[in-house]
Amino acid sequence: MTKILRFDEVELGDDLPAETPDVSMERVTNFCRSAKHVFERFIDHEAAKKEGFPAAIVPGIMSQGLLAAMIHRWAPNSSIQTIDTVFRGSLLVDSNITMTGAVTDIDEADMTVELDLAITAEDGRTGVIGTAKLQFSA
Amino acid sequence: MDQTNSVQDLASVREDWVGVEFDWATFEMKADDMVAWAEACGESDPRFTDADHPDFQAHPGFTTHCMSGRVLPENFPQIGGGFGIDGGKKVEVHGPIRPGDTLNATTTIADIFDKTGRSGTMIFIVQRMEFRNERSELVSTVDWKMIKKAD
Repeated sequence: MTKILRFDEVELGDDLPAETPDVSMERVTNFCRSAKHVFERFIDHEAAKKEGFPAAIVPGIMSQGLLAAMIHRWAPNSSIQTIDTVFRGSLLVDSNITMTGAVTDIDEADMTVELDLAITAEDGRTGVIGTAKLQFSA
Repeated sequence: MDQTNSVQDLASVREDWVGVEFDWATFEMKADDMVAWAEACGESDPRFTDADHPDFQAHPGFTTHCMSGRVLPENFPQIGGGFGIDGGKKVEVHGPIRPGDTLNATTTIADIFDKTGRSGTMIFIVQRMEFRNERSELVSTVDWKMIKKAD
């Protein structure tokens, strides 16, 4: 199911629709400004290379925000209670990255759902893994 | 340093430092920043992108950017090598953060532990920031995992 509107529509093992978020230099720069997190390794490819990266990298906290937005698109009537992300490898600005998610647990009594999350880099490396817990309302 | 001493040292550091509160800071929540953050994350839910929405609030991870400057407590012992890398963030949303809120944050050392894998032994230092609004309601908890390579 591409969009979940009610708790009883969620099935264990459901996949969230995979997404390719915008991590262009313009978008990442906007994020850094909003976060007061303006460092050259995020907004300047050449400066990032001088720090040893292959190109400018997406801030870890932005990758978490991208995943949260994906969750909200999948289940617009839910609220994220927790989101826990592990930064395993760099995701490059101006690259194609892919976000995925799957339902790993459902608590009928609390109306909560747990998800596994991941972001894969263009070259197939896993850049971010994580989990989230969502609360649905009656 | 052999493995036994290293484990004992880490246990000692844990005993001395876990639970120690070492930083305090205040942050003003502004609608423009909250909208810009959500839009840059590709958010499409008006609860997070429309400041006029009746339930407008900060994106779940918005407090992760609230850094006050101090990473570790004064006099914290040098454990592991180097400055440490950002291993990830866990955010707990306890309640909505609204524009105009003034958040008071306290920072503690929440945990210190090690894990051994293919890359050798790594030390994890978990720094926890708790954010309370002007009514002293806990609205957000952020755990930041700093990873250092064991000596």
